[in-house]
Amino acid sequence: MWRIRLFDSLVQAATWVAGGLLLLTIVAVFYYLFAESQYAFQRKFPFGFRIALQPPDSEYRNEVSMDPTASLLATHREGTDALDDAEDATRLPSHEELSQMQALVTATAQTDDPRQLRPDALFRDCMRAPKRAEQGERFLLLAFALPHYTGNRMVLAWEPDVSFDPAYCPYELRLRLVRAPEGVQVKPLEIDLRRQPKGSLELPVWKARTQEEWLQGYLFELEARPTTTTTLATIQQFLMPDWAPTILYARFGMLPLLLATLLITLLAIGLAMPLGIAAAVYLSEQASPRIREWFKPILEILASIPTVVLGYFGVMLIAPALQQMFGEALQLSSGRGLLATALMMAVFILPTVISLSEDALRAVPNSLREGAEALGLTLAERVRLVLLPTAKSGLIAAGLLAIARVMGETMIVWILSDGTPTMPDFSSPAAALGTLVKPTRGIPDTIAIEMGNVEFESPHYGHLFLLGLTLFVLTLGINLLGFAYRKRAQVVL
Amino acid sequence: MVAAMTLPKQKVAMETVELSVSYNGKPALKRVSLAFPANAVTALIGPSGCGKSTLLRCLNRMNDRIPGVEITGKVMLNGEDIYARRVNLTRLRREVGMVFQKPNPFPMSIFENVALGPRLHYGLRGRALQEVVEDALRKAALWDEVKDELHKSGLALSGGQQQRLCIARMLAVQPRILLMDEPCSALDPISTQKIEELIVELGKQYTVIVVTHNLQQAARISHYTGFLMYGELVEWGETRQVFENPTRPETEDYIRGRFG
Ligand SMILES: Nc1ncnc2c1ncn2[C@@H]1O[C@H](COP(=O)(O)OP(=O)(O)OP(=O)(O)O)[C@@H](O)[C@H]1O
Ligand SMILES: [Mg+2]
Repeated sequence: MWRIRLFDSLVQAATWVAGGLLLLTIVAVFYYLFAESQYAFQRKFPFGFRIALQPPDSEYRNEVSMDPTASLLATHREGTDALDDAEDATRLPSHEELSQMQALVTATAQTDDPRQLRPDALFRDCMRAPKRAEQGERFLLLAFALPHYTGNRMVLAWEPDVSFDPAYCPYELRLRLVRAPEGVQVKPLEIDLRRQPKGSLELPVWKARTQEEWLQGYLFELEARPTTTTTLATIQQFLMPDWAPTILYARFGMLPLLLATLLITLLAIGLAMPLGIAAAVYLSEQASPRIREWFKPILEILASIPTVVLGYFGVMLIAPALQQMFGEALQLSSGRGLLATALMMAVFILPTVISLSEDALRAVPNSLREGAEALGLTLAERVRLVLLPTAKSGLIAAGLLAIARVMGETMIVWILSDGTPTMPDFSSPAAALGTLVKPTRGIPDTIAIEMGNVEFESPHYGHLFLLGLTLFVLTLGINLLGFAYRKRAQVVL
Repeated sequence: MVAAMTLPKQKVAMETVELSVSYNGKPALKRVSLAFPANAVTALIGPSGCGKSTLLRCLNRMNDRIPGVEITGKVMLNGEDIYARRVNLTRLRREVGMVFQKPNPFPMSIFENVALGPRLHYGLRGRALQEVVEDALRKAALWDEVKDELHKSGLALSGGQQQRLCIARMLAVQPRILLMDEPCSALDPISTQKIEELIVELGKQYTVIVVTHNLQQAARISHYTGFLMYGELVEWGETRQVFENPTRPETEDYIRGRFG
């Protein structure tokens, strides 16, 4: 007797321990994803502009390069305090600040190569100093011509760095003339660099004959004023249509990844659900017990095929077929892409869908089948009017579970999607077809591909965790919804 | 063994001829020949497992789907054997409705439960459909209780109401013959009484065949009674005669409560 009781309590204890472990796992996973994704919010938002002073007819004009006879000096001040103080924002640089600039220029001016003097390079280096969005920055530029400059006009030209996109910059960027040299008449100038990232303006020549006079040249200020907090900026950019985490001005827009994952899921489920439910209806309503006995193990074997195998199976079978169909018309390098992935995903999830749907249908009490039969409903009518509506909650729960599994499935997308982040485009039938058959990249495979060679605790690292968190929250939500539906299914039956 | 029994003066609605049923080779009904008088209530009684349900379910071919079932003999309806090939099951069941022991309303609204059949079979819509539904609910003595909440789920009703809903659902298809398999056994006495009154009422317009374990109930509501034992029809006759003056000793023993 006491043995039995001991056994009972042991079993009970084991159950509690297992349950606790499972719950702890969920909490730990969530917490870990959340904690590590914080690095995404410590992201700096660097920006880069080339600004140069050059002769008006310079052939370099449009490339914004630097003429050795003109000079542009820059320095920067940082900090929010100064920016918030309106009076201080218009304050002229102090003598110390300007002297520092002078020292900087003097140091570089000693080299033989005049190109070393490129103030644009100097300026750009300053600009790149990564700053978080909360901290504004101000750069000061002095512009003047050297004594031997012969022209009577000079041009201030600017352009963004090649990969810098003002749209991704969470700052208001303004270039303004703070002060003109004495005796020079110019209108007040203020340029919104995000509206006008590339441009130039002509200035009356002003020559500095001595180094002391440099300080009396045109004084420009480039102000970077944050438009939002880092957190908001990070979240906003997370939803933008561009995933390019390794370029200089990294972009972490996960929209293409999310849309690809959703689209793959939609297609796969759209294919697997009708097929799976039909098969389940056949199995539960029509198939003889013998067929059913055969079918169940087959389903289990299918469900246990490793997804990496399914992925390569897709590469061998589906991709070549798609390549043959669309390859020439769309200039595909392979048939791998969104459609190939979705098709294989449908195969992957089909056994689960059939199994769960059959369970849902079997849960419908026989008395309802008999009731419908006694009313003179044919099999098709019984299925359509009584069986499916009654099993609806269970079927939806099955579908939701399937959705969650397809969303999180990594191997198949990794192998079959060809790994290029692409924004889906359904603006025209041709574009839609392209979107379907061309390479893409989803969330889970992105994490798998990039996590291996990302710098530890960098913003990129944080963003990968943020992706993981997004996926987890999505699948968790869908699963919870599934539970709710399963609960409802039990209430109905 | 009793030969085919009919009353000469009564019109016959349905008739079994040498009907035998076995499940996986085990006989459940043995050569039962029985005529059910039209526009009357016939009760089927007998000890548990004697084949009452089997017989009833044969009358609208509900046994067809059971694996391992074997049915021989005939069931005549309108001069045709319903087990003949090319019988339209939908038409058969439109004519022969059935109510089960456990109320089994569909998990949809009260209205939908009743409307399902006529909409499907007679293509009724809108006003006409509403009238049929109301009529069926009235005949099933449920209308007054549910007329304000037709869109409530059928499952939200009490057991007795559910059973009447199932009766209404059957009546809405406009059958002529009603089969009821222990329709009150899952119900409380008040619901039972309501359903009994209903059966008596329905017996005036329909041919009602009801299986029951409750002998008093059979005596109260039926005009004719058939007594089955071990798959055989032992006795059949007018209810009063079967109960007061049975011709066979087995019937007498059963009715006096000596077995079953
Ligand atoms: N689906 C089935 N499969 C196999 N055998 C069955 C099946 N249904 C009934 N039987 C058998 O047929 C015989 C008659 O059963 P039936 O259900 O007709 O009895 P019954 O008179 O309705 O009994 P009860 O009063 O308990 O409902 C029983 O021996 C039973 O075991
Ligand atoms: Mg029975």
